[in-house]
Amino acid sequence: MALLRTENVTKAFGALTAVNGVSLEVEAGSLHSIIGPNGAGKTTLFNLFTGQLTPTSGRIVFDGRDITGTPSHRVAHLGIARSFQRTNVFPALSLLDNVWIAAFARRGSWRGFAWRRADRYPEVTERALAALRDVGLQDRANQLAREISHGEQRQLELAIALAAAPRLLLLDEPAAGLSPDETQRMVALVRGLKGRYTIVLIEHKMDIIMGVSDRVSVMHFGSLIAEGTPAEIQRNADVQRAYLGGVVVE
Amino acid sequence: MSRAWLAVFAAVILLPLAVRHAIASEIWIFAIFGLGLNLLLGYTGLLSFGQSTFFGSAGYVSGYLLKHYGINVFAALGIGVLVGAVSAALVGYLCVQRSGLYFIMLTFALNQMFYFIAYQWTTVTGGEDGMPGIGRPVLLGVDFRQPLAYYIFVALLFLVSLWVMKRIVESPLGKILQAIRENEVRAQAVGYDGARLKLLAFVIGGAFSGLAGVLYAMLFGIVPLEAIGFVFSGNVVFATLIGGSGSLYGPIVGSFVFIWLSESVSVVWARWPLLLGVAFVIVVIFFRGGCVEAWARFWSWRERRRMATRLAS
Repeated sequence: MALLRTENVTKAFGALTAVNGVSLEVEAGSLHSIIGPNGAGKTTLFNLFTGQLTPTSGRIVFDGRDITGTPSHRVAHLGIARSFQRTNVFPALSLLDNVWIAAFARRGSWRGFAWRRADRYPEVTERALAALRDVGLQDRANQLAREISHGEQRQLELAIALAAAPRLLLLDEPAAGLSPDETQRMVALVRGLKGRYTIVLIEHKMDIIMGVSDRVSVMHFGSLIAEGTPAEIQRNADVQRAYLGGVVVE
Repeated sequence: MSRAWLAVFAAVILLPLAVRHAIASEIWIFAIFGLGLNLLLGYTGLLSFGQSTFFGSAGYVSGYLLKHYGINVFAALGIGVLVGAVSAALVGYLCVQRSGLYFIMLTFALNQMFYFIAYQWTTVTGGEDGMPGIGRPVLLGVDFRQPLAYYIFVALLFLVSLWVMKRIVESPLGKILQAIRENEVRAQAVGYDGARLKLLAFVIGGAFSGLAGVLYAMLFGIVPLEAIGFVFSGNVVFATLIGGSGSLYGPIVGSFVFIWLSESVSVVWARWPLLLGVAFVIVVIFFRGGCVEAWARFWSWRERRRMATRLAS
Protein backbone atom coordinates (compact mmCIF):
# COMPACT_ATOMS: atom_id res chain seq x y z
CA MET A 1 0.00 0.00 0.00
CA ALA A 2 1.20 3.49 -0.75
CA LEU A 3 1.99 5.43 2.42
CA LEU A 4 2.39 8.67 0.54
CA ARG A 5 0.63 9.51 -2.70
CA THR A 6 0.59 12.69 -4.74
CA GLU A 7 -1.97 13.38 -7.43
CA ASN A 8 -0.99 15.87 -10.10
CA VAL A 9 0.76 18.19 -7.69
CA THR A 10 1.78 21.51 -9.19
CA LYS A 11 3.52 24.45 -7.59
CA ALA A 12 4.02 27.69 -9.48
CA PHE A 13 5.93 30.73 -8.27
CA GLY A 14 4.59 33.39 -10.61
CA ALA A 15 5.68 32.41 -14.10
CA LEU A 16 7.99 29.66 -12.86
CA THR A 17 6.45 26.24 -12.44
CA ALA A 18 8.78 24.54 -9.99
CA VAL A 19 6.75 21.35 -9.69
CA ASN A 20 4.57 20.37 -12.61
CA GLY A 21 1.84 17.73 -12.34
CA VAL A 22 3.78 15.26 -10.23
CA SER A 23 1.99 12.00 -9.40
CA LEU A 24 4.01 9.71 -7.19
CA GLU A 25 3.44 6.74 -4.92
CA VAL A 26 5.74 5.77 -2.09
CA GLU A 27 5.23 2.22 -0.85
CA ALA A 28 5.27 1.64 2.90
CA GLY A 29 8.61 0.24 4.02
CA SER A 30 10.45 1.13 0.83
CA LEU A 31 13.29 3.50 0.09
CA HIS A 32 12.22 5.71 -2.77
CA SER A 33 14.77 8.07 -4.28
CA ILE A 34 14.12 11.22 -6.24
CA ILE A 35 16.93 12.33 -8.50
CA GLY A 36 17.30 15.11 -10.99
CA PRO A 37 19.56 18.02 -11.91
CA ASN A 38 19.79 21.15 -9.75
CA GLY A 39 16.59 23.16 -9.97
CA ALA A 40 14.49 20.18 -11.01
CA GLY A 41 12.07 20.89 -8.14
CA LYS A 42 13.03 18.12 -5.73
CA THR A 43 13.32 20.25 -2.62
CA THR A 44 10.17 22.16 -3.55
CA LEU A 45 8.39 18.82 -3.66
CA PHE A 46 9.59 18.09 -0.11
CA ASN A 47 8.40 21.51 1.00
CA LEU A 48 4.99 20.63 -0.40
CA PHE A 49 4.94 17.28 1.41
CA THR A 50 5.74 18.88 4.75
CA GLY A 51 3.49 21.92 4.51
CA GLN A 52 6.20 24.56 4.21
CA LEU A 53 4.55 25.36 0.88
CA THR A 54 1.01 24.86 -0.36
CA PRO A 55 0.51 23.36 -3.83
CA THR A 56 -1.05 25.52 -6.53
CA SER A 57 -3.11 22.50 -7.52
CA GLY A 58 -3.23 18.76 -6.90
CA ARG A 59 -3.54 16.60 -3.82
CA ILE A 60 -1.12 15.05 -1.33
CA VAL A 61 -2.39 12.02 0.58
CA PHE A 62 -0.54 10.55 3.54
CA ASP A 63 -1.80 7.24 4.88
CA GLY A 64 -5.24 7.77 3.35
CA ARG A 65 -5.51 11.29 4.71
CA ASP A 66 -5.49 14.44 2.56
CA ILE A 67 -2.70 16.65 3.93
CA THR A 68 -2.65 19.21 1.10
CA GLY A 69 -1.90 22.62 2.63
CA THR A 70 -1.69 21.37 6.22
CA PRO A 71 0.74 23.62 8.16
CA SER A 72 4.16 22.12 8.82
CA HIS A 73 3.85 21.76 12.58
CA ARG A 74 0.71 19.64 12.10
CA VAL A 75 2.30 17.52 9.40
CA ALA A 76 5.09 16.75 11.85
CA HIS A 77 2.55 15.42 14.33
CA LEU A 78 1.18 13.04 11.71
CA GLY A 79 4.59 11.39 11.60
CA ILE A 80 6.39 12.95 8.66
CA ALA A 81 9.90 14.04 9.57
CA ARG A 82 12.46 15.59 7.29
CA SER A 83 16.08 16.52 7.16
CA PHE A 84 17.16 19.62 5.28
CA GLN A 85 19.58 20.05 2.43
CA ARG A 86 21.21 23.03 4.09
CA THR A 87 22.11 22.17 7.65
CA ASN A 88 19.22 23.28 9.77
CA VAL A 89 19.85 22.60 13.45
CA PHE A 90 19.61 24.62 16.67
CA PRO A 91 23.18 25.99 16.88
CA ALA A 92 23.32 27.24 20.48
CA LEU A 93 21.70 24.14 21.97
CA SER A 94 23.44 20.93 22.95
CA LEU A 95 23.17 17.94 20.65
CA LEU A 96 20.97 16.23 23.21
CA ASP A 97 18.61 19.22 23.35
CA ASN A 98 18.50 19.35 19.55
CA VAL A 99 17.08 15.85 19.38
CA TRP A 100 15.22 16.10 22.70
CA ILE A 101 13.03 18.84 21.29
CA ALA A 102 12.13 16.73 18.29
CA ALA A 103 11.40 13.72 20.50
CA PHE A 104 9.20 15.77 22.83
CA ALA A 105 7.12 17.12 19.95
CA ARG A 106 5.94 13.61 19.13
CA ARG A 107 5.03 12.75 22.69
CA GLY A 108 1.35 13.41 22.06
CA SER A 109 0.68 14.96 25.45
CA TRP A 110 1.54 18.46 26.56
CA ARG A 111 0.85 17.85 30.24
CA GLY A 112 3.11 19.81 32.54
CA PHE A 113 5.17 21.08 29.64
CA ALA A 114 5.59 24.57 31.11
CA TRP A 115 6.21 23.41 34.65
CA ARG A 116 7.68 19.94 34.99
CA ARG A 117 11.47 19.92 34.72
CA ALA A 118 12.67 18.74 31.35
CA ASP A 119 14.86 16.04 32.92
CA ARG A 120 11.75 14.44 34.43
CA TYR A 121 10.75 13.04 31.05
CA PRO A 122 12.92 9.92 31.01
CA GLU A 123 11.15 8.34 28.01
CA VAL A 124 11.79 11.45 25.89
CA THR A 125 15.43 11.61 26.93
CA GLU A 126 15.78 7.90 26.20
CA ARG A 127 14.37 8.33 22.70
CA ALA A 128 16.61 11.35 22.10
CA LEU A 129 19.70 9.40 23.16
CA ALA A 130 18.64 6.50 20.96
CA ALA A 131 18.45 8.86 17.97
CA LEU A 132 21.94 10.15 18.72
CA ARG A 133 23.16 6.56 19.01
CA ASP A 134 21.59 5.74 15.65
CA VAL A 135 23.80 8.32 13.95
CA GLY A 136 26.85 7.68 16.13
CA LEU A 137 26.87 10.97 18.06
CA GLN A 138 26.04 9.60 21.51
CA ASP A 139 29.45 10.57 22.92
CA ARG A 140 29.00 14.22 22.07
CA ALA A 141 25.52 14.67 23.56
CA ASN A 142 26.53 17.62 25.72
CA GLN A 143 28.42 19.57 23.10
CA LEU A 144 26.78 22.52 21.38
CA ALA A 145 25.57 21.98 17.83
CA ARG A 146 27.61 24.92 16.54
CA GLU A 147 30.83 23.39 17.88
CA ILE A 148 30.77 20.16 15.88
CA SER A 149 32.02 19.66 12.33
CA HIS A 150 29.90 20.03 9.24
CA GLY A 151 29.81 16.29 8.74
CA GLU A 152 28.64 15.76 12.29
CA GLN A 153 26.01 18.44 11.85
CA ARG A 154 24.68 16.47 8.90
CA GLN A 155 24.43 13.44 11.16
CA LEU A 156 22.70 15.56 13.79
CA GLU A 157 20.30 16.77 11.12
CA LEU A 158 19.37 13.16 10.52
CA ALA A 159 19.12 12.43 14.25
CA ILE A 160 16.59 15.26 14.70
CA ALA A 161 14.40 13.64 12.07
CA LEU A 162 14.80 10.18 13.64
CA ALA A 163 14.03 11.41 17.17
CA ALA A 164 10.51 12.21 16.02
CA ALA A 165 9.91 8.46 15.50
CA PRO A 166 8.64 9.17 12.00
CA ARG A 167 6.41 6.97 9.89
CA LEU A 168 7.81 8.66 6.82
CA LEU A 169 11.34 10.00 6.67
CA LEU A 170 12.20 12.61 4.05
CA LEU A 171 15.94 13.02 3.54
CA ASP A 172 17.05 15.99 1.47
CA GLU A 173 20.59 15.32 0.23
CA PRO A 174 21.96 13.97 3.50
CA ALA A 175 25.44 13.81 2.00
CA ALA A 176 25.50 17.42 0.75
CA GLY A 177 28.93 18.95 1.22
CA LEU A 178 30.48 15.86 2.80
CA SER A 179 33.98 14.53 2.14
CA PRO A 180 34.28 11.09 0.51
CA ASP A 181 34.94 9.51 3.91
CA GLU A 182 31.99 11.21 5.52
CA THR A 183 29.82 10.30 2.54
CA GLN A 184 30.73 6.64 3.05
CA ARG A 185 29.64 6.89 6.66
CA MET A 186 26.38 8.59 5.69
CA VAL A 187 25.61 5.93 3.09
CA ALA A 188 26.14 3.24 5.71
CA LEU A 189 23.84 5.16 8.03
CA VAL A 190 21.05 5.47 5.47
CA ARG A 191 21.44 1.81 4.56
CA GLY A 192 21.05 0.97 8.23
CA LEU A 193 17.78 2.88 8.36
CA LYS A 194 16.38 1.12 5.34
CA GLY A 195 13.60 -1.26 6.28
CA ARG A 196 13.07 0.42 9.67
CA TYR A 197 11.45 3.46 8.09
CA THR A 198 9.69 4.39 4.90
CA ILE A 199 12.19 6.76 3.33
CA VAL A 200 12.10 9.26 0.51
CA LEU A 201 15.62 10.30 -0.43
CA ILE A 202 16.74 13.19 -2.57
CA GLU A 203 20.29 12.77 -3.71
CA HIS A 204 22.77 13.82 -6.37
CA LYS A 205 25.39 11.20 -5.82
CA MET A 206 24.57 8.27 -8.08
CA ASP A 207 26.54 5.70 -6.08
CA ILE A 208 24.32 6.35 -3.07
CA ILE A 209 21.11 6.17 -5.10
CA MET A 210 21.90 3.05 -7.02
CA GLY A 211 23.14 1.15 -3.99
CA VAL A 212 20.26 1.70 -1.60
CA SER A 213 17.06 2.54 -3.50
CA ASP A 214 14.08 0.27 -4.10
CA ARG A 215 12.50 2.72 -6.53
CA VAL A 216 13.90 5.77 -8.27
CA SER A 217 11.92 8.70 -9.70
CA VAL A 218 13.61 11.17 -11.99
CA MET A 219 12.60 14.82 -12.04
CA HIS A 220 13.49 17.25 -14.78
CA PHE A 221 12.23 20.84 -15.03
CA GLY A 222 9.55 20.16 -12.42
CA SER A 223 8.12 17.03 -14.06
CA LEU A 224 8.64 13.33 -13.46
CA ILE A 225 10.24 11.89 -16.56
CA ALA A 226 10.87 8.34 -15.42
CA GLU A 227 10.32 5.91 -12.61
CA GLY A 228 11.58 2.42 -11.97
CA THR A 229 14.11 0.25 -10.22
CA PRO A 230 17.68 1.54 -10.11
CA ALA A 231 18.67 -0.83 -12.92
CA GLU A 232 15.82 0.33 -15.15
CA ILE A 233 16.68 3.97 -14.53
CA GLN A 234 20.32 3.40 -15.40
CA ARG A 235 19.31 1.98 -18.76
CA ASN A 236 16.72 4.66 -19.51
CA ALA A 237 17.88 6.82 -22.40
CA ASP A 238 15.75 9.86 -21.47
CA VAL A 239 17.31 9.92 -18.05
CA GLN A 240 20.79 9.71 -19.44
CA ARG A 241 20.13 12.64 -21.73
CA ALA A 242 18.44 14.81 -19.11
CA TYR A 243 20.41 14.03 -16.07
CA LEU A 244 23.67 12.45 -17.01
CA GLY A 245 24.29 14.49 -20.13
CA GLY A 246 24.62 11.36 -22.26
CA VAL A 247 27.36 9.84 -20.14
CA VAL A 248 26.61 6.22 -19.40
CA VAL A 249 27.06 5.23 -15.80
CA GLU A 250 28.83 1.94 -15.40
CA MET B 1 20.76 24.73 46.56
CA SER B 2 22.95 26.31 43.94
CA ARG B 3 25.46 29.10 44.40
CA ALA B 4 23.25 31.45 42.42
CA TRP B 5 20.38 30.99 44.85
CA LEU B 6 22.66 31.56 47.83
CA ALA B 7 23.84 34.79 46.22
CA VAL B 8 20.22 35.86 45.63
CA PHE B 9 19.26 35.11 49.25
CA ALA B 10 22.29 36.98 50.53
CA ALA B 11 21.40 39.96 48.34
CA VAL B 12 17.81 39.96 49.56
CA ILE B 13 18.97 40.03 53.18
CA LEU B 14 21.86 42.48 52.79
CA LEU B 15 20.36 44.95 50.34
CA PRO B 16 18.15 46.86 52.83
CA LEU B 17 21.22 47.41 55.00
CA ALA B 18 23.07 49.05 52.13
CA VAL B 19 20.44 51.24 50.47
CA ARG B 20 17.14 52.85 51.40
CA HIS B 21 14.27 50.42 51.69
CA ALA B 22 12.34 52.07 48.88
CA ILE B 23 15.29 51.65 46.50
CA ALA B 24 15.84 48.07 47.63
CA SER B 25 12.17 47.32 46.94
CA GLU B 26 12.37 49.00 43.56
CA ILE B 27 15.35 46.84 42.61
CA TRP B 28 13.40 43.62 43.17
CA ILE B 29 10.29 45.00 41.47
CA PHE B 30 12.32 45.94 38.45
CA ALA B 31 13.94 42.51 38.57
CA ILE B 32 10.51 40.84 38.32
CA PHE B 33 9.76 43.09 35.34
CA GLY B 34 13.10 42.06 33.80
CA LEU B 35 12.48 38.35 34.37
CA GLY B 36 9.29 38.65 32.33
CA LEU B 37 11.02 40.49 29.52
CA ASN B 38 13.91 38.07 29.44
CA LEU B 39 11.66 35.11 28.72
CA LEU B 40 10.94 36.96 25.47
CA LEU B 41 14.31 38.60 24.83
CA GLY B 42 16.78 36.01 26.07
CA TYR B 43 14.94 32.74 25.67
CA THR B 44 12.63 33.34 22.71
CA GLY B 45 14.77 35.92 20.95
CA LEU B 46 11.98 38.48 20.70
CA LEU B 47 12.93 42.08 21.40
CA SER B 48 9.74 43.50 22.88
CA PHE B 49 9.97 47.23 23.05
CA GLY B 50 6.59 47.58 24.70
CA GLN B 51 6.75 45.83 28.05
CA SER B 52 5.54 48.92 29.92
CA THR B 53 2.16 48.41 28.24
CA PHE B 54 1.53 45.49 30.58
CA PHE B 55 3.35 47.02 33.55
CA GLY B 56 1.38 50.26 33.31
CA SER B 57 -2.00 48.71 32.52
CA ALA B 58 -1.77 46.47 35.57
CA GLY B 59 -0.68 49.41 37.71
CA TYR B 60 -3.62 51.52 36.57
CA VAL B 61 -6.29 48.84 36.95
CA SER B 62 -5.16 47.53 40.32
CA GLY B 63 -4.29 51.02 41.50
CA TYR B 64 -7.77 52.24 40.62
CA LEU B 65 -9.40 49.36 42.49
CA LEU B 66 -7.14 49.85 45.51
CA LYS B 67 -7.80 53.56 45.56
CA HIS B 68 -11.55 53.57 45.07
CA TYR B 69 -12.63 50.21 46.44
CA GLY B 70 -9.85 49.39 48.87
CA ILE B 71 -9.58 45.81 47.65
CA ASN B 72 -7.46 43.18 49.32
CA VAL B 73 -3.77 43.37 48.47
CA PHE B 74 -3.68 39.82 47.14
CA ALA B 75 -6.71 40.54 44.98
CA ALA B 76 -4.88 43.59 43.67
CA LEU B 77 -1.83 41.50 42.83
CA GLY B 78 -3.93 38.78 41.23
CA ILE B 79 -5.83 41.29 39.13
CA GLY B 80 -2.53 42.91 38.16
CA VAL B 81 -1.12 39.59 36.98
CA LEU B 82 -4.32 38.95 35.04
CA VAL B 83 -4.38 42.40 33.43
CA GLY B 84 -0.71 41.99 32.49
CA ALA B 85 -1.38 38.60 30.93
CA VAL B 86 -4.53 39.66 29.06
CA SER B 87 -3.03 42.88 27.69
CA ALA B 88 0.05 40.88 26.64
CA ALA B 89 -2.20 38.35 24.90
CA LEU B 90 -3.84 41.15 22.90
CA VAL B 91 -0.59 42.87 21.99
CA GLY B 92 1.24 39.60 21.49
CA TYR B 93 -1.42 38.22 19.18
CA LEU B 94 -0.85 41.11 16.79
CA CYS B 95 2.93 41.19 17.15
CA VAL B 96 3.79 37.52 16.64
CA GLN B 97 2.29 37.68 13.16
CA ARG B 98 5.42 39.57 12.13
CA SER B 99 9.10 39.08 12.79
CA GLY B 100 12.30 41.08 13.02
CA LEU B 101 12.11 44.83 12.77
CA TYR B 102 8.36 44.82 12.10
CA PHE B 103 7.80 42.88 15.29
CA ILE B 104 9.78 45.40 17.32
CA MET B 105 8.00 48.36 15.74
CA LEU B 106 4.61 46.78 16.44
CA THR B 107 5.39 46.31 20.13
CA PHE B 108 6.53 49.91 20.21
CA ALA B 109 3.52 51.29 18.32
CA LEU B 110 1.01 49.43 20.47
CA ASN B 111 2.84 50.69 23.56
CA GLN B 112 2.41 54.24 22.28
CA MET B 113 -1.29 53.56 21.73
CA PHE B 114 -1.75 52.47 25.34
CA TYR B 115 0.30 55.44 26.46
CA PHE B 116 -1.95 57.91 24.70
CA ILE B 117 -5.07 56.25 26.05
CA ALA B 118 -3.65 56.74 29.56
CA TYR B 119 -2.64 60.29 28.66
CA GLN B 120 -6.09 61.26 27.39
CA TRP B 121 -8.27 59.39 29.86
CA THR B 122 -7.58 61.89 32.63
CA THR B 123 -10.73 61.13 34.68
CA VAL B 124 -9.36 57.69 35.47
CA THR B 125 -5.60 57.84 35.03
CA GLY B 126 -4.99 61.46 35.94
CA GLY B 127 -3.21 61.94 32.62
CA GLU B 128 0.13 63.67 33.00
CA ASP B 129 -0.26 64.02 36.76
CA GLY B 130 -0.44 60.28 37.21
CA MET B 131 -2.82 58.38 39.47
CA PRO B 132 -1.93 59.24 43.08
CA GLY B 133 -3.39 58.07 46.36
CA ILE B 134 -2.79 54.35 46.08
CA GLY B 135 -2.51 52.97 49.58
CA ARG B 136 -0.70 49.98 50.94
CA PRO B 137 -3.23 48.02 52.96
CA VAL B 138 -2.79 46.45 56.35
CA LEU B 139 -2.63 42.70 56.05
CA LEU B 140 -2.79 40.15 58.87
CA GLY B 141 -1.87 42.86 61.32
CA VAL B 142 1.22 43.88 59.36
CA ASP B 143 1.25 47.49 58.28
CA PHE B 144 2.78 47.62 54.83
CA ARG B 145 3.23 51.35 55.12
CA GLN B 146 6.32 50.42 57.10
CA PRO B 147 9.09 50.49 54.45
CA LEU B 148 10.80 47.40 55.83
CA ALA B 149 7.57 45.40 55.99
CA TYR B 150 6.84 46.29 52.39
CA TYR B 151 10.40 45.45 51.41
CA ILE B 152 10.05 41.97 52.88
CA PHE B 153 6.74 41.52 51.09
CA VAL B 154 8.29 42.55 47.75
CA ALA B 155 11.39 40.45 48.31
CA LEU B 156 9.31 37.35 49.03
CA LEU B 157 7.24 37.89 45.89
CA PHE B 158 10.44 38.36 43.94
CA LEU B 159 11.79 35.04 45.23
CA VAL B 160 8.55 33.31 44.28
CA SER B 161 8.69 34.92 40.82
CA LEU B 162 12.27 33.82 40.34
CA TRP B 163 11.39 30.27 41.36
CA VAL B 164 8.42 30.19 38.98
CA MET B 165 10.53 31.54 36.11
CA LYS B 166 13.25 29.00 36.89
CA ARG B 167 10.71 26.22 36.65
CA ILE B 168 9.43 27.58 33.33
CA VAL B 169 12.83 27.91 31.69
CA GLU B 170 13.90 24.45 32.90
CA SER B 171 10.71 22.86 31.60
CA PRO B 172 10.25 21.60 28.05
CA LEU B 173 8.71 24.99 27.23
CA GLY B 174 12.02 26.66 28.07
CA LYS B 175 13.85 24.41 25.62
CA ILE B 176 11.20 24.84 22.95
CA LEU B 177 11.31 28.63 23.17
CA GLN B 178 15.09 28.51 22.78
CA ALA B 179 14.66 26.25 19.78
CA ILE B 180 12.30 28.80 18.25
CA ARG B 181 14.88 31.51 18.91
CA GLU B 182 17.60 29.44 17.29
CA ASN B 183 15.70 28.29 14.23
CA GLU B 184 11.99 28.84 13.92
CA VAL B 185 11.61 27.00 10.59
CA ARG B 186 13.17 23.88 12.04
CA ALA B 187 11.10 24.15 15.22
CA GLN B 188 7.98 24.24 13.06
CA ALA B 189 9.24 21.30 11.05
CA VAL B 190 9.61 19.13 14.15
CA GLY B 191 6.07 20.02 15.20
CA TYR B 192 5.84 23.29 17.13
CA ASP B 193 3.45 26.07 16.30
CA GLY B 194 5.87 28.99 16.50
CA ALA B 195 3.30 31.78 16.61
CA ARG B 196 1.27 30.17 19.37
CA LEU B 197 4.30 29.43 21.56
CA LYS B 198 5.63 32.94 21.09
CA LEU B 199 2.23 34.20 22.18
CA LEU B 200 2.47 32.02 25.28
CA ALA B 201 5.86 33.54 26.08
CA PHE B 202 4.24 36.96 25.71
CA VAL B 203 1.44 36.09 28.11
CA ILE B 204 3.83 34.75 30.74
CA GLY B 205 6.08 37.79 30.35
CA GLY B 206 3.02 40.03 30.61
CA ALA B 207 1.93 38.35 33.84
CA PHE B 208 5.32 39.08 35.40
CA SER B 209 5.17 42.67 34.14
CA GLY B 210 1.71 43.03 35.64
CA LEU B 211 2.87 41.82 39.04
CA ALA B 212 5.77 44.27 38.93
CA GLY B 213 3.42 47.09 37.88
CA VAL B 214 1.12 46.65 40.87
CA LEU B 215 4.03 46.39 43.32
CA TYR B 216 5.49 49.55 41.81
CA ALA B 217 2.20 51.43 42.19
CA MET B 218 1.95 50.39 45.84
CA LEU B 219 5.59 51.25 46.49
CA PHE B 220 5.30 54.87 45.44
CA GLY B 221 1.57 55.28 46.07
CA ILE B 222 1.15 56.55 42.52
CA VAL B 223 1.04 55.31 38.96
CA PRO B 224 2.99 57.95 37.05
CA LEU B 225 2.25 58.33 33.36
CA GLU B 226 5.85 57.25 32.65
CA ALA B 227 4.99 53.77 33.96
CA ILE B 228 3.27 53.07 30.66
CA GLY B 229 5.65 55.09 28.48
CA PHE B 230 8.25 53.90 26.01
CA VAL B 231 11.18 55.11 28.12
CA PHE B 232 10.15 52.60 30.75
CA SER B 233 9.96 49.87 28.10
CA GLY B 234 13.41 50.85 26.96
CA ASN B 235 14.82 50.88 30.49
CA VAL B 236 13.90 47.28 31.15
CA VAL B 237 15.48 46.18 27.87
CA PHE B 238 18.55 48.22 28.76
CA ALA B 239 18.81 46.78 32.24
CA THR B 240 18.33 43.21 31.01
CA LEU B 241 21.01 43.56 28.34
CA ILE B 242 23.48 45.06 30.81
CA GLY B 243 22.80 42.25 33.25
CA GLY B 244 22.91 39.58 30.57
CA SER B 245 20.03 38.29 28.51
CA GLY B 246 21.57 34.85 28.13
CA SER B 247 21.02 33.90 31.74
CA LEU B 248 18.07 33.54 34.08
CA TYR B 249 19.86 35.77 36.60
CA GLY B 250 20.95 38.44 34.13
CA PRO B 251 17.90 40.68 34.55
CA ILE B 252 18.38 40.64 38.34
CA VAL B 253 21.94 41.88 38.04
CA GLY B 254 20.77 44.39 35.43
CA SER B 255 18.01 45.67 37.65
CA PHE B 256 20.48 46.11 40.49
CA VAL B 257 22.91 48.09 38.35
CA PHE B 258 20.22 50.15 36.69
CA ILE B 259 18.14 51.10 39.74
CA TRP B 260 21.16 51.64 41.92
CA LEU B 261 22.71 53.98 39.35
CA SER B 262 19.50 55.84 38.71
CA GLU B 263 18.58 56.29 42.37
CA SER B 264 21.96 56.74 44.03
CA VAL B 265 24.24 58.31 41.44
CA SER B 266 21.53 60.55 39.99
CA VAL B 267 21.45 62.46 43.30
CA VAL B 268 25.15 63.25 43.07
CA TRP B 269 25.49 63.67 39.34
CA ALA B 270 22.65 64.73 37.09
CA ARG B 271 24.36 63.36 33.98
CA TRP B 272 24.24 59.78 35.27
CA PRO B 273 22.63 58.36 32.11
CA LEU B 274 26.04 58.98 30.54
CA LEU B 275 27.46 56.24 32.78
CA LEU B 276 24.67 53.96 31.72
CA GLY B 277 25.43 54.70 28.08
CA VAL B 278 29.10 53.84 28.59
CA ALA B 279 28.15 50.63 30.38
CA PHE B 280 25.84 49.74 27.53
CA VAL B 281 28.49 50.34 24.87
CA ILE B 282 30.98 48.20 26.79
CA VAL B 283 28.44 45.40 27.07
CA VAL B 284 27.50 45.49 23.40
CA ILE B 285 31.10 45.57 22.19
CA PHE B 286 32.86 43.27 24.67
CA PHE B 287 30.35 41.27 26.65
CA ARG B 288 27.30 40.36 24.64
CA GLY B 289 26.21 38.23 27.57
CA GLY B 290 26.24 41.24 29.93
CA CYS B 291 27.56 41.29 33.50
CA VAL B 292 26.84 37.59 33.91
CA GLU B 293 29.16 36.72 31.04
CA ALA B 294 31.81 39.18 32.22
CA TRP B 295 31.72 37.50 35.63
CA ALA B 296 31.98 34.00 34.15
CA ARG B 297 34.87 35.03 31.93
CA PHE B 298 36.67 36.64 34.85
CA TRP B 299 36.44 33.40 36.82
CA SER B 300 37.60 31.17 34.00
CA TRP B 301 40.49 33.59 33.39
CA ARG B 302 41.48 33.43 37.07
CA GLU B 303 41.19 29.67 37.02
CA ARG B 304 43.45 29.43 34.00
CA ARG B 305 46.02 31.75 35.58
CA ARG B 306 46.08 29.69 38.73
CA MET B 307 46.59 26.54 36.69
CA ALA B 308 49.40 28.21 34.78
CA THR B 309 51.24 29.30 37.91
CA ARG B 310 50.82 25.84 39.41
CA LEU B 311 52.25 24.26 36.28
CA ALA B 312 55.15 26.71 36.29
CA SER B 313 56.15 25.99 39.87
